[in-house]
Amino acid sequence: MATLREPITPAPGLTRPELRKPRTNASISGWIRRFLLSNNFVLYLTLIFFVVAAIFLPSLRTPGNISNQLQNMYPLLAVAIGQTFVLILGGIDLSVGATMGLTSVIGAVVMAQTLDPTFFDKSPLWGTLMRPEGGLLAGSDLAVPIGVLVMLVAGTCIGWLNGFAITRFNLAPFMVTLVTSTFFGAFALWLTQSRNISGLPEAFVNLGKGDLISIYFGAKLTSDIARREIYSLITYPFIIAVGLAISAQFILSRTVFGRRMFSIGTNRRASEISGVPNRSVITRVYMFSGFCAAVASILYSARLAIGQPSLGGGNLLLDIIGAAVIGGTSLFGGKGSVRGTFFGVAFFVLLLNILNAMQLSPFVIDAVKGLFILVAALLDITRTRLLNREVRA
Amino acid sequence: MNKRRFNFVQFLLNNSTVFLFIIIFILFGLSSPRTEAGFPRFWSPENMMNIIKQAAVFAGIIGVGMTFVLLTAGIDLSVGSNMYLSVVVAGLLMRSSGLEIVPALLVSLLVGTLFGALNAFAIVRLKIIPFMTTLATLVIGRGLGTAFTSSQQIDFPERMNAFGQTMVLGVIPMPIVVFVLVVIAAWFILARTQFGRQVYAVGNDIEAAKKAGINTDRTLAMVYIISGFCAGLAGFILASQLGGRVDRSFGETREFDAIAAAVLGGTSLFGGAGNVFGTVLGAVLIQMVGTGLQFNLVNLYLQPMVRAFIIFLAIFFDSLREANLKKMKRRFIRPLEVHRADAGD
Amino acid sequence: MTPLIEVHELSKAFFGIAAVKSVSLSLNVGETLGLIGQNGAGKSTLMNLIGGVVHPDTGTMRFKDAPYAPHTPSDAQTAGIAFIHQELNLFTNLSIAENIFISQFPRKGLLRSIDRGAIRQQTRDLLASVGLDLDPDIQVDRISPGERQLVEIAKALYQDAALIILDEPTTSLTARETERLFTIMGQLRSGGKALIYISHILHDVHHLSDHIAVMRDGALVAHDPAANFSVNRMISLMVGRSIEQLYPPRTSTPTTDVALSVKNVTTAGIVENISFDLHRGEVLGLFGLMGSGRTELARMIFGADAYDSGTILVEGEPIKKPSPRASIRSKIAFVTENRREEGLLMGIDIANNISLVSLPDFARTLFDVVNQSEMLDSARAMANVLQLKSGDIAEQPAKALSGGNQQKVVIAKWLLSRPSIFIMDEPTRGIDVGAKYEIYSIIDRLAAEGSGVLIISSELEELIGMCDRILVMSRGELYGEFPRAEFHEERVLRAAFREQDLPVLPVQEPSSAPAGKEEV
Repeated sequence: MATLREPITPAPGLTRPELRKPRTNASISGWIRRFLLSNNFVLYLTLIFFVVAAIFLPSLRTPGNISNQLQNMYPLLAVAIGQTFVLILGGIDLSVGATMGLTSVIGAVVMAQTLDPTFFDKSPLWGTLMRPEGGLLAGSDLAVPIGVLVMLVAGTCIGWLNGFAITRFNLAPFMVTLVTSTFFGAFALWLTQSRNISGLPEAFVNLGKGDLISIYFGAKLTSDIARREIYSLITYPFIIAVGLAISAQFILSRTVFGRRMFSIGTNRRASEISGVPNRSVITRVYMFSGFCAAVASILYSARLAIGQPSLGGGNLLLDIIGAAVIGGTSLFGGKGSVRGTFFGVAFFVLLLNILNAMQLSPFVIDAVKGLFILVAALLDITRTRLLNREVRA
Repeated sequence: MNKRRFNFVQFLLNNSTVFLFIIIFILFGLSSPRTEAGFPRFWSPENMMNIIKQAAVFAGIIGVGMTFVLLTAGIDLSVGSNMYLSVVVAGLLMRSSGLEIVPALLVSLLVGTLFGALNAFAIVRLKIIPFMTTLATLVIGRGLGTAFTSSQQIDFPERMNAFGQTMVLGVIPMPIVVFVLVVIAAWFILARTQFGRQVYAVGNDIEAAKKAGINTDRTLAMVYIISGFCAGLAGFILASQLGGRVDRSFGETREFDAIAAAVLGGTSLFGGAGNVFGTVLGAVLIQMVGTGLQFNLVNLYLQPMVRAFIIFLAIFFDSLREANLKKMKRRFIRPLEVHRADAGD
Repeated sequence: MTPLIEVHELSKAFFGIAAVKSVSLSLNVGETLGLIGQNGAGKSTLMNLIGGVVHPDTGTMRFKDAPYAPHTPSDAQTAGIAFIHQELNLFTNLSIAENIFISQFPRKGLLRSIDRGAIRQQTRDLLASVGLDLDPDIQVDRISPGERQLVEIAKALYQDAALIILDEPTTSLTARETERLFTIMGQLRSGGKALIYISHILHDVHHLSDHIAVMRDGALVAHDPAANFSVNRMISLMVGRSIEQLYPPRTSTPTTDVALSVKNVTTAGIVENISFDLHRGEVLGLFGLMGSGRTELARMIFGADAYDSGTILVEGEPIKKPSPRASIRSKIAFVTENRREEGLLMGIDIANNISLVSLPDFARTLFDVVNQSEMLDSARAMANVLQLKSGDIAEQPAKALSGGNQQKVVIAKWLLSRPSIFIMDEPTRGIDVGAKYEIYSIIDRLAAEGSGVLIISSELEELIGMCDRILVMSRGELYGEFPRAEFHEERVLRAAFREQDLPVLPVQEPSSAPAGKEEV
């Protein structure tokens, strides 16, 4: 076994090349460059954005609004984390929206306490899994834990299918996930014939809001405080989404698996040569993305108190990818962080908040969002170029 | 002079869609309801005509535009939104200033083309990857369209409906004629012009194309513009088929069918391979499946799932073909007397 | 008569290392110049200068009696110089005719469509002039490599190139195709074209050329009429490189324990029936010219590419399902020839690069958490042993290092996994002399500690300087074997050029492999 211990001897009489000196930047362009490349770029951007907007739109800075916007962040954060993982690999997962819709339906089918025959008697599940007296485990104490578990497993399975098709048959990730997106999106609609399933158990609905710690500003004059003056701070969605974020950050930065993800995203061939099990890592990342989509689905479904097949439809996908890319995750792979995505999500939620506060039509908002995605992609390209130039200089 | 070894697997691969087409055609025919004479209604000329007409408006025309884009190894996800935006602008003008059909069609074409030019600009000049660019313009386009209409359904004047029902020479539905013209034009451009052949060259090896002195930026820009033009055209024709009613879901997910039609027709996602006739076959196949499922009274909700499955087959075969191609391109360092690039005929 | 092309004092350096040193050459109409030299002697750079692919630092060129300074390959093309690369530049999805006319088609009619009749007719004529009887409409991916080569020449003829540069055109050609190519070349020459012919097959060069130019270390060492050369003289001119390279003394001798045994490895069209043993403590060199199959062989041994048949045994145990992971489990390390594509994670910090292969060793069982401090300590220790010159290895990305230090990172990565067999493909390519010496020291130390080291190199000097034994590969076969006692630069080079009868070498160890199939 080779275990070199002593330092090798340098060549006699040969001078070694000097170390490159780090470049110093005193100029304004250097400052801009540093700002663009900073890890906290999006955080600064979000804060600046907020401060400026808050001056013109006072409604933005009310505690109620802030509390509300924070609650808006969590489901988006959950699903964006999964997407961040996939993007770090250099892949993409377009099926997260459909995964959310399908898991939402599946969870509701397990948990619903009553189902209206006039809505659902055409559903393929009618009479078996769906009955007038509710879903599979209606009324059972285990309905919620099993329902949640089934949702998570279903999401993970869709992810596995994506990963399997991508690694086993060498198919383009975006085509595979486009196909699974169509397939499972249609599947969810078919199961419920486009209907939303309501009547979910209270215990589940609580997951979507349940305040743990709330804040009340103002003097305590009477013994009861009006509900609308209480601002929820710590809620179940907060705990779930932040818990997921912390675990994801942990996987990314502390584990062998996380290192291997970056390695595959940076250089797939070098990783393969270095013994990184590419296929297994890639498959598991897509599984994780499906899992995260299921978590987001739980949060959204609980908040809306329905199982909604079209959950995750529309432009949600763009919000997800946009948040990740603005947060510094590269579309070319090998770069990204959960923290960045967290800031990116905050930025996106704030952006929406501002556009809404400006009372623009939802469609102009969509158009502006689309533009921001382009800007984010452009930013990604610019940052990559800057970094390359820095190294070469 | 070259003896080609017949390779059955390759033969199947290269013609997978044709086989799929024939099998599905027979299966649906056999299982479809019959006329009194016992003839399967699915095979009736009216039904066939109908399938082709719908194939033209739903996936065919934009599929032809998509073929150009895919040939350069790009992608255009924005065609569905482009269809919507183009027809919305034309429709609004028709309603507000009483525009006639032909000028309205021109407006739709112009908007579609400009939309394509926007994609081209972002991709060629700003160097944002096609996937991301067109995903963003997908959202922007639909957002603008809905903003223009305040999310209301647009009802075109009656003449739009009449235009849609036009029969050329008294027998052929107008969309089929338009489709045929588009296909012939596209075939001519791709197969018979310098630009067309350079599209193939760029898709085969963009570096070599640059070395050969081809203006690759211009070629790339043109394919997105063509795709935009096709979207503007398809939007207008489709609106005329829907009785001149355009709501905010108009054209949604059509890009998916367009890609599917092209890839099913043998156009490679990796660029450089494919032709418009394949796309026609792919578009008709997709429509045939849709109609066939309806004939067999399959739940409407299942149809997208079947479609997704067929598209999966298409990309799966595409990937197998590509793997095969790579093997053929492998560099040999020893002469191999038996080596003949054995592409199946 | 003024020469067709004149190259005057042309120089070009890459990153401070001279690739072409003050070369002056000229070539007349109707003449063929044979250009030879070892790998890295500067032939390709010189041709790239003429072809407009790279630009000279100093020096001038004249072409057709006018100053000539191409900026792009298409400038060279327009001027009348066709450069036929080893990797052909044909579009495989287009027809032969279309390939020839792709940048400018003759057009006709209102619609400006391609005049297919015209290109078909012209192509037929062009193909006939290179002796090809092919349908102009046939797609290029359906013709053989040899036919593609001739199509490239037809394309050059169409562009009315006055000078055609052929870089190793015969590597993938059959004997018949080669013969045809030579006939065509003869015809071109009598038709007034000037040709530059680069090849490792010296007999061909001798036979085809009017003049022969020999390059060594970027400089032109001889330029004479072909008649003044014998194959012997060509080889002796190519060797004797004046590199001021230093080699550390070898501190150990090989054992007779077989570490790695390669048996009958064959892949159609690439390598043929390769068998040899690598012993513990041995530094074994694998020499071959560009395109001899040495890199391909190394990749097969490591499991990075598949092979058709044969067995690879490590310590007597066959590797059953070859893959990089299987090889790593069998304690094989593989330093690839291309650091950028397959060696390093350029954007990622040095420490994570170094720990990539042995990451699981630093994992605590729960959740596979990487023990960061242990990992950093090991990486730092390894960086220290290899005298890596870098900033903080936990921060600095690999791409910010010099070539030599990058190579050390790759070696460190493998060392950390404690391998017993090292395969190094071009371990000193593109690195400076000081770093080279250090890499050699590492190789010596590895052998001294009992590893088997297989070095693949196109620099014969370094193999002679470092190895215990040298195997020579040519056209995918093992074509010679030299124990240290018989190291002789010319003889090894002859084997690589196939310019000798097979060496009948005294077999040193009973386990030594046969020296390759006899076939010339």
